[in-house]
Amino acid sequence: MAANERVRVRGLTISRPIIYGNTAIVLTPKEREALSSPDHTHRWTVAVRSAASAPDSDIVGGADDLSYFIKRVTFKLHDTYPNPTRNVDKPPFEVSETGWGEFEIQIRITFVAESGEKAFFTYHHLKLHPWTVVGSTEPDIPPIEAAMKMGPVHSWQYDEIVFNDPFQSFLNILTAHPPTPLPKHTRRPVPFHTANPASLEASKGGVPEFTQQMEREEAERLETARKKVVAETDSWRQKLIEKEKELEKLKKQLEATA
Amino acid sequence: MAGASAADVRSILSLPNPSTPGPSQPRKPSNAGERARKPEGISRELYSLIGPSAPSLAAQFVKPRLKQKPNFGSGGRVKWEWRPFKNGARADSMRLHHWAKTGTDPEADYPFAKYNIQPISFVYSQDEYTRLLEDQEWTKEETDYLFELVREYDQRWHIVHDRYEYIGGSERSLEDLKDRYFTVCRKLVKNRPWAGDEASKSQLLSSLQFDKEREITRKRYIASLESRTPQQKAEEDALYVELKRLEQSERRFKRERDELLRTLLGIESGLSELPLDEEGIATGPPDTKRRKKGNHTAEPDTPISATPSSNVISLGQPQPRKAQTAKSAAYDALHFIYRTEVPPTTTSTTKASHQAAYLRSYKLPQPKITSAAKVAQVLGEIGISHGRLVMPTRDNCVQLESLLEAATALVETKKVVDKVEQDIRVLKARLGKRESEGAEDSFGTGEAAPTPMDVDEVEAEADGRAQSVVSTRSARSVRSRKQSRRSMSISSVDTSAAGASRRQKRQRD
Repeated sequence: MAANERVRVRGLTISRPIIYGNTAIVLTPKEREALSSPDHTHRWTVAVRSAASAPDSDIVGGADDLSYFIKRVTFKLHDTYPNPTRNVDKPPFEVSETGWGEFEIQIRITFVAESGEKAFFTYHHLKLHPWTVVGSTEPDIPPIEAAMKMGPVHSWQYDEIVFNDPFQSFLNILTAHPPTPLPKHTRRPVPFHTANPASLEASKGGVPEFTQQMEREEAERLETARKKVVAETDSWRQKLIEKEKELEKLKKQLEATA
Repeated sequence: MAGASAADVRSILSLPNPSTPGPSQPRKPSNAGERARKPEGISRELYSLIGPSAPSLAAQFVKPRLKQKPNFGSGGRVKWEWRPFKNGARADSMRLHHWAKTGTDPEADYPFAKYNIQPISFVYSQDEYTRLLEDQEWTKEETDYLFELVREYDQRWHIVHDRYEYIGGSERSLEDLKDRYFTVCRKLVKNRPWAGDEASKSQLLSSLQFDKEREITRKRYIASLESRTPQQKAEEDALYVELKRLEQSERRFKRERDELLRTLLGIESGLSELPLDEEGIATGPPDTKRRKKGNHTAEPDTPISATPSSNVISLGQPQPRKAQTAKSAAYDALHFIYRTEVPPTTTSTTKASHQAAYLRSYKLPQPKITSAAKVAQVLGEIGISHGRLVMPTRDNCVQLESLLEAATALVETKKVVDKVEQDIRVLKARLGKRESEGAEDSFGTGEAAPTPMDVDEVEAEADGRAQSVVSTRSARSVRSRKQSRRSMSISSVDTSAAGASRRQKRQRD
């Protein structure tokens, strides 16, 4: 049996939904005074969590403990932070800091030894300032007082970690921890994403949550877009055929007059 | 000896004698009453033979009665009236009349309008033709001609074949035409982006399926069936009878052999389960003979060994896979498991060939580099940012991929349109140059411009010809083709004077 454990299960792909991103909140003047660096304006938390949110929790995602397959998450902060590489070896896989500026955070996810998989990187752009409509007249960064009123800023990316042909032992571990399914319908605000600018309004007013409805809606968005593109292609093809006929005619005329 | 009496028959059938009870039997109370209760449908003679023990079934042999005459028209007369109706399938506004019941709604849709279904007509561009549809046997012109005919005759293939007369082309059979048409259609459907779902696509594809070889074989077979001589038919019948006879005797032989074995060896079980060769009917006579021979030799002397083997075959293969998929679908969905068929020839993969774990969004489909910018622009216009998804699940990635494919096709089509437009511009410029040279010449020889009366006449003559006049003219008139014919014919005459109208004048003279 032990020998079988290290056999890869062929033709099987198993994935785990995760989210990564950050939540940021503007500091009150009092809090700022207490800090060692008074120019910091925000407190933020960057994290890697399971996609589903726990009921009644005030954070995005994190219903499941991911340590059954993630051994360590390394957040590489901006070099100006003391000790910028932060290793988190146990859940919750998150780092909280204060700061004044947005920057790119490198996130390195290391898997448990049973997986036999290498660690991989991903990046997250730390988002401190509220989302704005692209191309609107509003300034990209609203004044701090306005931002304070707008509440915490959420910037999360849903993703799925895909394991191909996992070892039997690792597969056993994974299947022993089925991920909490996402709620079927939207009950809370929708996490805003730049790929869907229309969701800005729906993202306001509280802690957002990922849902299956979001997935369905995105599928529908893509489907409508595809139908549109196909329809347009058809009309262009029609046009092309007409043009070709015209070209043919012109060629004949040219030959006739030659 | 006289014929058997009723009493004889009764004794043969061991029935009690109703009419003449024996001395030891009590006398029946009344014969007449019993007779009277004779069930309906049994003849008196038969009843007197079998008596009251008539099978209950006999009661059903009721004399068939004629059906009651249907009652037509008694429930009030139906009034009909002659009135116009709207046919939704008509493109023109022509109104036809028909008889209709007076009660019905006069504005109701014509019930047969729904049967006017236009088949999808396929058109292809030059670009698509060169990319997909090239065929050694067919030129593009001939393919165009075929498609035009098919469209015109509404896919009525025999008519298409009958009218098919392509000048300079080789002789085409009906199968050639169909094969070409359906092959082209299939290729177009396969290679164009599809708006609907996969099921409807494959349904359409299967409706466009055409197997030329099979069709030819089928027709040849039917033709050969039709052209059999009477002798051949008789021979076939004789062979069939012979076959039946052989089968029968084979069966009888088998039965007798089984009985023999049973009596000699005392084997009761198993043998009777030996399958009789029922399939012999389907195969030809020589085959049966061979099997018969095989039966002689291969029939086991130890029948016990034969039974399990036949059982094993009849049991068939168990099908665990199907049951498993149905059961585990929910499990897989819960655990985010996706299974693919493993090719059976997979060699043990080494570390190098193993695909490492990755984030789904890192494997998002990407458009081709050559058209990436334009694809992004197309998608941007409809509010989709390629390369990023809110929820990059497996399904959504597949969706995005097909969207990208469609967008790439759109970009490609636009590119070809641009190219053709460019060609048209070049040709127009060349034509215009030539025309202006020609016009100068004609002005040089000089003839007066037509009078207004001429214009009217030219206009009245024939729109068709007026257009042909226009078409030989300058780039300006080509541009004005979009205007109505009438205005074109005027412009052709009164703007550039001589050449065209002079020609027309001559024709009239």
